[in-house]
Amino acid sequence: MTDLLLDVQGLETRFKTREGYVHAVNGVSLQVHERETLGIVGESGCGKSVTMMSLLRLIPSPPGEVFAGKAFYRNNDLLKISDDELRRMRGADLSMIFQDPMTSFNPVLTIGAQVTEPLVIHHNISKVDAFERAVEMLILVGIPNARERMNSYPHQFSGGMRQRVMIAMALICSPKLLIADEPTTALDVTIQAQIIDLTKRLQDEMGMAMIWITHDLGIIAGLADRVLVMYAGFVVEEAAVDELYENPQHPYTIGLLGSLPRVDDDNRRRLASIEGLPPVLMEKPHFCPFLNRCPYAVKHCRRENPSLLQVGPGHRAACWVDPNTRNERA
Amino acid sequence: MNQPVLLHVEDLVVHFPILRGILQRQVGAVHAVDGVTFDIHQGETLGLVGESGCGKSTTGQAIIQLQRPTSGKVIFEGSDLVKMDGEPLRQTRRRMQMIFQDPYSSLNPRMTVRQLVGEPMAIYNTLQGKERDERIEYLLTMVGLDRGFAKRYPHEFSGGQRQRIGIARALALEPSLVVCDEPISALDVSIQAQVVNLLEDLQKKLGLTYLMIAHDLSMVRHISDRVAVMYLGVLVELADRKILYNSPLHPYTQALLSAVPIPDPKAERRRQRIILQGDVPSPINPPSGCRFRTRCPLAAQVCVEIVPEFVEKSPGHFVACHMA
Repeated sequence: MTDLLLDVQGLETRFKTREGYVHAVNGVSLQVHERETLGIVGESGCGKSVTMMSLLRLIPSPPGEVFAGKAFYRNNDLLKISDDELRRMRGADLSMIFQDPMTSFNPVLTIGAQVTEPLVIHHNISKVDAFERAVEMLILVGIPNARERMNSYPHQFSGGMRQRVMIAMALICSPKLLIADEPTTALDVTIQAQIIDLTKRLQDEMGMAMIWITHDLGIIAGLADRVLVMYAGFVVEEAAVDELYENPQHPYTIGLLGSLPRVDDDNRRRLASIEGLPPVLMEKPHFCPFLNRCPYAVKHCRRENPSLLQVGPGHRAACWVDPNTRNERA
Repeated sequence: MNQPVLLHVEDLVVHFPILRGILQRQVGAVHAVDGVTFDIHQGETLGLVGESGCGKSTTGQAIIQLQRPTSGKVIFEGSDLVKMDGEPLRQTRRRMQMIFQDPYSSLNPRMTVRQLVGEPMAIYNTLQGKERDERIEYLLTMVGLDRGFAKRYPHEFSGGQRQRIGIARALALEPSLVVCDEPISALDVSIQAQVVNLLEDLQKKLGLTYLMIAHDLSMVRHISDRVAVMYLGVLVELADRKILYNSPLHPYTQALLSAVPIPDPKAERRRQRIILQGDVPSPINPPSGCRFRTRCPLAAQVCVEIVPEFVEKSPGHFVACHMA
C-alpha cells in the first residue's frame, strides 16, 4: 500500500432548516492513498457530495455547518488550517470537477482566462507562459484547435467539450488528489466513455489519486480500486472493488446490485427492487437508517445504529444481520 | 412475431423551421426526424434508444401527434393519424397515451391526485361521479398507491410516487399503446427498478403495447422485445433484443453498447471499448451520405456519397450501413 494522502475521521455536517437540523453527513471516515481511486456510490441526498464539499470547505455557512471531524491531507487538517493556507492548496494540491460543466464556468470569461486562472494564482508565472501551458493542457484533453479555442466562451462548447475543459482547468497545477463529483452524469454514454478514458489516462500519467462520486455502480466497477457505499449520510459498506461486487454484505448494497439490469445479460428475471424511500434525518437515528427498507431486519436493528465492522480483509459493513441468516432468507 | 401490427410508422419526418430576420423567413430546418420506418406489434415492447438530440423523443411525440409530422404516415389501429384532425383525431388518440420523463413538471401542482387521474375521463366524458371516483381508486391501487392519496397534491409525493400518478393518468382511458418517454431516467437507482417492475406487471395484466424511449441501454435490454437504435434523426439498426445486443451490425450500435458500463469489475476489465471520436454533428446540417460517417471507424468514400438504405440483413434484423 502506498502512502496515505487523505485521512478523514468522523466527519459530521448538518444544515439548519426551519424545522431543525438536517444531518447530511454522519461520522464519515475515509482514506485515500497515493495514486489510488476511491469510488463513492449512493443515491441523491445520501451525503456523498456534501462530504466532499465539507472537506474543501465549500459548504455555504449558514445554513451548513461542519461540526465534527478531522480531515488530514498529508499533515494538514483541512478543517483547521487558515483560509489562506486552504486557498493555496485548493486547485494546486486538491482539485475538484463538478457534475454540470455549464454552471461551473463563468459565462462572461473566455475559456483561456478560466483555464489559466489556477496557474496565475498558485504559481508566479507570466501571462504568456500561462497561456502556453493552458494550450498544452487543452491539447492533452483533446480539444481540437486548442490555440484558437482559448478565446471562446463556455457556451460555444458542447457538453462533452466543456467537461474536457473543466478537467484541463482542474489538472493544470498537477494536483495530487482529484475529486470528481458525478462528472459524466449530464453526458451521453459515448461521451461518458471518452471522458472516463481520458481521466484514467491522465491519472496514470500524472500519478494522482482520485475520488470519484457517482450513483452509477457500472462506472465504479470499471474505475475504482476501493468503494464506499453511502446511505442517509452514513458509510454503510467499504471494500475493494472486486470484493464489493462479488460479496456484498450490506442489504442496501445487495439491493442496489440486484436492481440493476446488465447490458451483457440476456436473463429477463424480475428486478429486485428496494421498496420505500430513503429517510430524511432530522435527528441522528439510534436505529439503523436502512431499517424501514430492509428485508432482513431483526429486532436489534431498531435498538442501535450499527457501526462499520470488519467482515473480511479490508471489507467493512454496518449491519447487525448475521450473514448466514441473511443467505437463508435470500 | 405473430401478433398483428398495432402501429405502422412509415417515412416519418419532423423538421423544425429556423426563421430569421424581420420577415421571419425560413433559412433552414432542424432535421429532428428524417425518414423513420418501423412497426410495433400488439402486446410487444419496442425500445427506441439513442443519445440526446437523436430525435427519439420527437419521434414519440410525432406518433402521438403532440408534434405534427412534416410528412410520413402514422397508421394506428388502421387509420393514418397524419391525415386526420379535429374530432376523429381526438377520438383515435385516446387509445394512445404517454408517460413523461419528468414527474415533477408533468403534473399540475394545483390539482389533486383525484383531479389529475380523473382529468382524462372528464375530457373524454367517459365516467361521471361515483363511477369515476371508483375508477380513480382502482387505478391508484393498480399502480401501487394508497387509494386515500386521491385527496393529496403532487408536492406531497416522492419522484417514484409521482411517476406512478403519471402512469395511472395514462391508463385512465384504457389505451392500447403507451409511449414511455424516458420514464425512469429522473428517478433514483433504487426507485427505477420499482417503476420498471410496475410497467412490466401492467403490460401483462392489461395487454399494453409499449414504445419505450430511453437512453439507458441496460434497462432497454431488460424491458424490450425488439430494439431500434437512432442516430441523428434516422434509424441505424432494428432487431430482436437478443440479436441486437449479442450481434449488433452497425458500428454505432457496437460503439454504443461497448460504452455502457457493466456493474461487474471483472467484466469491465475484460472489455474492449470502442471510443468514438468527436461529438454528434448538428441536425441543422447533417453530414452527406451516412450520418454516422464523421465518427465512424469504418467510414469509406461510399459513405460520403451514398445514403445507406435501411435493409433487412436477416429476418427481422434491419441495418443501415454500407459496411455491415
